[in-house]
Amino acid sequence: MSERAPLIRADRVTKRYGSFTAVDTVSLDVFPGEIVGLLGANGAGKTTLIKNLLGLTVPTEGAVIAFGRLPDRATRGRLGYVPQGLGLWPTLTVAENISFASAAFQAETPTLEPALAAVQDRLVGEIGLGLQRQLAFTIALAHHPELLVLDEPTSGVEPLARARLWDTVHDQADQGVGVLVTTHYMQEAQQCDRLVLMSHGKAVAAGSERDIIGNTTACEVDTPHWAAAFAALDEAGLPVTLNGRRVRLADTPSDTITRVLHGAHITADVREVPATLEEKMTVIDRAATPA
Amino acid sequence: MWAMILKEFLELRRDRRTMAMIIALPLLLLVVFGYAANFTVDDVPTRVYGPNAQAVAGKLHTPFDVKKVDPAGTEEQARDVLRSQDAGAVVVAPSSGPATVFIDGSNLFSAQSVTAASKASGGVLQPEVLFNPELKTSWTMVPALVGMIMAFIGTIITAIGLVRERQAGTLEQLAVMPFKATDVIVGKIAPYFVLAAFDMVLVTVLGCLLFGVPFAGSFLVLALGAALFLFCVLGIGVLISSVSQNQGQAMQMALLTLMPQMLLSGMIFPLSAMAAGVRWIGYLFPLTYFNMVSNGVMLRDAPISSLALPLGLLAGMAVLVFSFAVLRFRRDLAPTAPKAARDAVAAGGTR
Repeated sequence: MSERAPLIRADRVTKRYGSFTAVDTVSLDVFPGEIVGLLGANGAGKTTLIKNLLGLTVPTEGAVIAFGRLPDRATRGRLGYVPQGLGLWPTLTVAENISFASAAFQAETPTLEPALAAVQDRLVGEIGLGLQRQLAFTIALAHHPELLVLDEPTSGVEPLARARLWDTVHDQADQGVGVLVTTHYMQEAQQCDRLVLMSHGKAVAAGSERDIIGNTTACEVDTPHWAAAFAALDEAGLPVTLNGRRVRLADTPSDTITRVLHGAHITADVREVPATLEEKMTVIDRAATPA
Repeated sequence: MWAMILKEFLELRRDRRTMAMIIALPLLLLVVFGYAANFTVDDVPTRVYGPNAQAVAGKLHTPFDVKKVDPAGTEEQARDVLRSQDAGAVVVAPSSGPATVFIDGSNLFSAQSVTAASKASGGVLQPEVLFNPELKTSWTMVPALVGMIMAFIGTIITAIGLVRERQAGTLEQLAVMPFKATDVIVGKIAPYFVLAAFDMVLVTVLGCLLFGVPFAGSFLVLALGAALFLFCVLGIGVLISSVSQNQGQAMQMALLTLMPQMLLSGMIFPLSAMAAGVRWIGYLFPLTYFNMVSNGVMLRDAPISSLALPLGLLAGMAVLVFSFAVLRFRRDLAPTAPKAARDAVAAGGTR
């Protein structure tokens, strides 16, 4: 895959606002037909990196190469973008939004899906968020972009609609479109071919889900006194999470856990299991957090 | 309650624009009403024409400020001088009998001052008011209102319209569309330009119909002045939008630019009656020059040559403000990569 030219490349991109470094020496490629997930907590620098990739802001250091050149008017015509806020004109109707975007990209007005066709004469501000997302996707795809950039595309969308939007993303990738998607839903991260994890402005890990998790393990604590166990482990400053009634701790030796539980007079079965992507992210984020 | 008061002060302290308004507005009002709010004109630039000019000129006192004495000057020349606003009054003194004072009625307060002085001369001076014989306030106010309405619409609607795009995130969407920055800015402000121009025509026509205000001059000259003025105010609107995060801030900033224009442009208080320092602030505003054009065209049939200065200054301001606004907008919409990055890409120096 790396022999092919990337659709877009961030080359050691750094973006500073005064003394604050929002993105720190991040490199990233998106190739045709692949879905690259950009993961990270709020404030990790994902959206700033996206803005640099789109040419909305320019890197303080490093460079962005889109379709072999610096982002400009011509490169913008080759990408589709769904921003977090959707970028729709709420006081225009669905049909007017589509008509304007099609004219801007000099593309044919797309045929609307039945759900959107049913509300095409309604103001965008009056239709539901799910339909608004669908409309934003339709607009982003209308001019057949080679690269699709999606910033938190399914935020606030109910699960069924989310699945439908992901079907659209996969269809596009199957047709050779490169997709760069930011998300903090771990289930969505699993739909990506490749992931880049950002924390505090840096790209701290990259690869497939399996690559990123690597040998990191978690411990699952099985006890009827799960609430007390959770409280004791949390009080001991360990990275404890609760999954239903199962207490889990990422990247923590089992004997440390056993010792804390023993000290709290809690009997439990502690067993080592593979860490989840979310747990790995927590571990990485803790490691990257400045002291 | 104390916590609430403290919180409010903390918020206010960090809201620089509101703080600026709290500090700037009282200062502005103090300066304006202290130094500018004066309806009494003490010095009216005056010329004295006619065979008896020297003798009459020697007897003139406040508010006549004799600038030129020309015994060969005629009544016809006097009218032309007033039409071009080279003087506020021209006294034509024949070899015998009372002198006639021709007064520029388009300059209301100067005219009132000179008329009163002439009437108090005991028959030595006979006043004749030109361009606004009955000295109606509405006749001088309507041409000024034309400019003020364009300033309000041009500045506020443009600023709010652009900030609304930014707030809704649609400005970002426009920035990723394959538009040129000039396409976006022209496309965005053209409707406001048309609407403000429509309002100008509407106010002018209604002003003439409802208040009987004459339209003595060329509509084309007024249209030229209006177009230049609109570029100024639309540019100011764009600049305001570039430093405002929300519509409230844009409104505040717009009012901060509009209030001084209204008060110091000569629309309400005569420029000639203001203290010099304050008058010069007035000379910085485009509305001051548009008022000169609209007043000159509508009331005096002023020829374009006599309006060359205000038109030229409006053109200069339009180019300056609008270019700066476009550059600022372009920087926000399509920032240029630093030279180092451009060179690196050109040299194939990326990874």
